[in-house]
Amino acid sequence: MIAHGIKRGTAELAVLSVLEDGPLHGYEMARRIEELTHGSLRFTLASLYPLLYRLEKRGWVSGAWETSRTGRRRRCYRLTSEGKKKLAPIRREWAELFRALKRLTKVSHA
Amino acid sequence: MPDWGALVEQRLAGLALEPEERAEVIAEVAAHLEDICEAMLRQGKTEDEAVRRALSKAGDWQDLQRKILTAKRREQIMKKRVWQLWIPGFLTLILSMVFLTVVYRLGLRARLVWSGPNEILLYMPWLAGLPFFGALGAYISSRAGGSRTTVLFVSVFPAFALAFAFLMMFPIGLTIERIMGRPVDFSLVAPVLLKDGIGWLLVPGAVLLGGGLLAHLLLSTRSSSRDAAIG
Repeated sequence: MIAHGIKRGTAELAVLSVLEDGPLHGYEMARRIEELTHGSLRFTLASLYPLLYRLEKRGWVSGAWETSRTGRRRRCYRLTSEGKKKLAPIRREWAELFRALKRLTKVSHA
Repeated sequence: MPDWGALVEQRLAGLALEPEERAEVIAEVAAHLEDICEAMLRQGKTEDEAVRRALSKAGDWQDLQRKILTAKRREQIMKKRVWQLWIPGFLTLILSMVFLTVVYRLGLRARLVWSGPNEILLYMPWLAGLPFFGALGAYISSRAGGSRTTVLFVSVFPAFALAFAFLMMFPIGLTIERIMGRPVDFSLVAPVLLKDGIGWLLVPGAVLLGGGLLAHLLLSTRSSSRDAAIG
C-alpha cells in the first residue's frame, strides 16, 4: 500500500484517468481504481466524494443522476472537455516527477 | 437490507448544506454503501457482516462530513470573500494612493492643523477625495453581497493597510537604529508616531468610513424601499 501523503496527490489524476474511459458512479470508480492499481490505491468515502465535489465545482467533471436497467439511481460522473484539457498537463507533471524520482533514487521501476 | 438513506442521514446529521444538496449527498453516499454491501453479499458474507463492513468502509463519519462541507463550500466562500472583501478593499487602497500621488504632483500641499508643539499635518485635498473612495469600495462590496461589517471594513481598508505598514516600519526602524548604534529616544519618537497616526490613519480612516457609511445607508434605504414596493 502507498502512504497516505503520497496518495493524496495522486487522487485527482486517478479519478480523472478512470473517467477518461467513460462515465462512472462513485462505487464503480473506487472499485476500478483499486482493481487497476492492484489495491495500491484505495479510496474511502471521505477521500472520494469531497474530491469529486471539488472537481465538479472546478468544472472538470460533471455529475448527473442516472437510472440503471435494474431501476437503481446512481450519480454518474463524466469528464468534461475542461477536465480533458486539465488531464494532459497533470499527466505530464506526474510523469516528469516519476522520472526525476527514478533518477534521484535509482529505483528501477519507479 | 437496511434503509441506507436513513442510516447515512443519521450519521451525517450535521451536514449543513441546502436541503436539496444535502439530500443528494446523502442519497449518493447511501447508494455507495449499498453497492459495497451487495458486493460483500456476493462474496458470501452474511447480511449483518456485509452491513457492518460497508459501514466501516465509510471510516470516520465526522471526518467525512467535515470534508464534504469543506469541498462544497470552500471555493464558494473563497470566491465570495474575493469579491466582497479583497477586490473592493484593494481597489479602495489603490485609488486612494493614486489620488494622493496625483494631488501631490498637482502641487496641492498638506495643511497644518494645530500649531505649536502638537502640530498635525493633514493632507486636506487628499482627505476631501477619500469619502468617494470609501463609498466606492462599500458600494462594490455591498453589490457582491458583503455584510455590513465587511462593507464598512472595505471602506476603511486603506487606513488598515497604512496602519499595518506603520506597524511593520516601527520595529524595522528600531532594529536599523540599534544596528547603527543610535539609541532611540522614545520621548521624541512617541509624539511623532502619535501625530502621524492621527494625520495618516485616524483622520483618513474616519473620512473613509464616513463615505462608506453614507454609501451603505443609501444602498440599504434603496433596497428596503424596493422590498416595500415588491411587498
